[in-house]
Amino acid sequence: MSKRITLDPITRIEGHLRIDVEVNDGKVSKAWSSAQMWRGIETILKGKDPQDAWSLAQRFCGVCTTVHAISSIRSVENALKVEVPMNAQYIRNIMIAQHSVQDHIVHFYHLSALDWVDIVSALKADPKKAAQIAQSISDWPGNSEKEFKAVQDKLKAFVAGGKLGIFASGYWGHPAMKLPPEINLIATAHYLKALDYQRKAAQAVAILGGKNPHIQNLVVGGVATAVNLENMATLNMERIAYLRTLMEETRDFVQKVYYPDMIAIASAYKEWFKYGAGVTNYLAVPEFPEDTKNTQFGLNGGVFFNGDLKTFKSITNHQDPYLINNISEGVAHAWYEGSATHHPWEGETKPEYTDFQENGKYSWCKSPRFDGKPVQVGPPAQLFAAYANGNPKVKKLVDATCQQIGIQVKDLHSTMGRLGARAVRAHLLADMSLEYLDKLVTNLGKGDKTYANHTEIPKGEYKGVGFHEAPRGTLSHWMVIDNKKIKNYQAVVPSTWNASPRDEKGNMGPYEASLVGNPVANEEKPLEVLRTIHSFDPCIACAVHTIDPEGKEITKVKVL
Amino acid sequence: MKTLIFGAGNLLLSDEGFGVHAIRHLEANYTFPEEVELYDGGTLGIMVTHKFEEAERIYILDVIEGEGTPGELRRFEKDDIMLDRIPVKLSPHQIGIQETLLMSELRGFCPERVTLLGVLPVSLDASDQLSPTVSKRLDDVAQILVTELAGHGMTVMKKAA
Repeated sequence: MSKRITLDPITRIEGHLRIDVEVNDGKVSKAWSSAQMWRGIETILKGKDPQDAWSLAQRFCGVCTTVHAISSIRSVENALKVEVPMNAQYIRNIMIAQHSVQDHIVHFYHLSALDWVDIVSALKADPKKAAQIAQSISDWPGNSEKEFKAVQDKLKAFVAGGKLGIFASGYWGHPAMKLPPEINLIATAHYLKALDYQRKAAQAVAILGGKNPHIQNLVVGGVATAVNLENMATLNMERIAYLRTLMEETRDFVQKVYYPDMIAIASAYKEWFKYGAGVTNYLAVPEFPEDTKNTQFGLNGGVFFNGDLKTFKSITNHQDPYLINNISEGVAHAWYEGSATHHPWEGETKPEYTDFQENGKYSWCKSPRFDGKPVQVGPPAQLFAAYANGNPKVKKLVDATCQQIGIQVKDLHSTMGRLGARAVRAHLLADMSLEYLDKLVTNLGKGDKTYANHTEIPKGEYKGVGFHEAPRGTLSHWMVIDNKKIKNYQAVVPSTWNASPRDEKGNMGPYEASLVGNPVANEEKPLEVLRTIHSFDPCIACAVHTIDPEGKEITKVKVL
Repeated sequence: MKTLIFGAGNLLLSDEGFGVHAIRHLEANYTFPEEVELYDGGTLGIMVTHKFEEAERIYILDVIEGEGTPGELRRFEKDDIMLDRIPVKLSPHQIGIQETLLMSELRGFCPERVTLLGVLPVSLDASDQLSPTVSKRLDDVAQILVTELAGHGMTVMKKAA
């Protein structure tokens, strides 16, 4: 018998995404992803000064503030062909990398771990045994029996005081929860500890960015951060040393706690490497520019189709016409007028709401396509691209990770693969942050004191695109400047690629495709659906409504 | 004694940005003593947990959704938040502020005194301006804070117009 489950926002404020799935014989047979909020934010930017766009653009999204600022400033620099001095590139690279590390830590522990970890089961754990297990997989000094006992005692007091109810997303005791109590206790302890380290990453961004959460140090053509190794009043050697310490501490947490926890959870839920592949066309753009013209990068990008790395096409810079010309957005199933497909520079935003029509228009999200095909973006795409490009560090780390879990690289096309790829990316970027700090200090040591190429917006019309490989995947901001003002602005964000509705050819977007075939043991508690959707790190909070065949609501569960 | 005044919300969705507008309003019109920090938390929720943990007393300024008249200002204290007695939803982005505070409590770092001042929105349309009705609540929030801080011996000076 077929049942329809709707994951829908509780309130306007809270939700941006609704997922509908049809369940047949314990499996998802059809899925629809529907953005429930119109993101008309680009219209606010029209008529504004292009130099100020980045500051407003970082308010686009709740969590990814830095990434929109970076993409926006790059779009102006691209339009006006402004070079960015090396000091500025390194400072930006460190901020980008640390922001990603922070984002990945928070995603793993605070936004997705409770799909796999049963906190209540941790109450039954033996803290001594938990310490033995934890110490056998990592030399992290925090994995003591005392530490685990303290967390367990605190949890007991909380449960007794009725305070755990607030974590409404917890599926305590769900049959799909498989971790032994000791692993649940270890993960819970690290879940609480992780807050300290996401904070250190945020502090690292703030040392360079001037302020967190909303950075203030960008200018078109560079950064406003001046480093003076001697002067105590500016960013000096002492602050740089502090920055290094913070980033080393975060790196140790990522490599000795987060990464091993991912390995432990992935190994216990190996069947989840079989579900959730969905769209196996991938796109990643190059990131971490290592020259002033954005032509050399620390990690290359690329595109491939049908999960086949033989179709891989490398993207080596942000000016690549293959990249720029192949991106389009369609509205066949989106609540906008008509069914035309446009390149983002020609993008239109003319709303036409029709209510949810599963064969018609059903989302505020447009359908971005690459070369006419849906593509998945995010950490797996970036790792696959770097892997296919023969990046030795990435290849070594990905291969070692697969070997430890006992899977093959192709198994990363999956729900658990996305969690794994994110941890590998965090591992990699924690190191790369420190490498860029070394490069910055070396460059300063050579006497380079340039932080920005001062830029005036000229008269006339200019088009630019700012690409950024963000924590959730490929981000692009498309700007048309006319007479010193913004004439058109479109942001094609990672969650738009992944949460995209069907296109004019009927091809599903990545969220939709990834859910088809997903098991659902209990329609009233569709934990498995959440696992797959959360694996994309969706930038949303929404609610699950389970609807019985008559359309009556059976249950409503908050999804975080 | 460090007091944190935390403004939450999305600046680009009109009244959703109330908390952020309130912080800007306070900064523009008042001079606070050093032990009071005004913080534009935007929509980060869990990613700014440390701000909560560093403070000894917290005021959260936010928009709330629930029954009532749009523009109405409502007040909740720590127990309401911890025991989930808030009849309305805070504005949560990713993990909400409520969950974030509970997590801090579980870590043993949540301050004893937490107050939420929330306004019911009139408009959530794309705009960087507040609706006229909600805009009037900026002064009310400022008055509440000035009076309460004065009660704890902290002088907040109104800036010359």
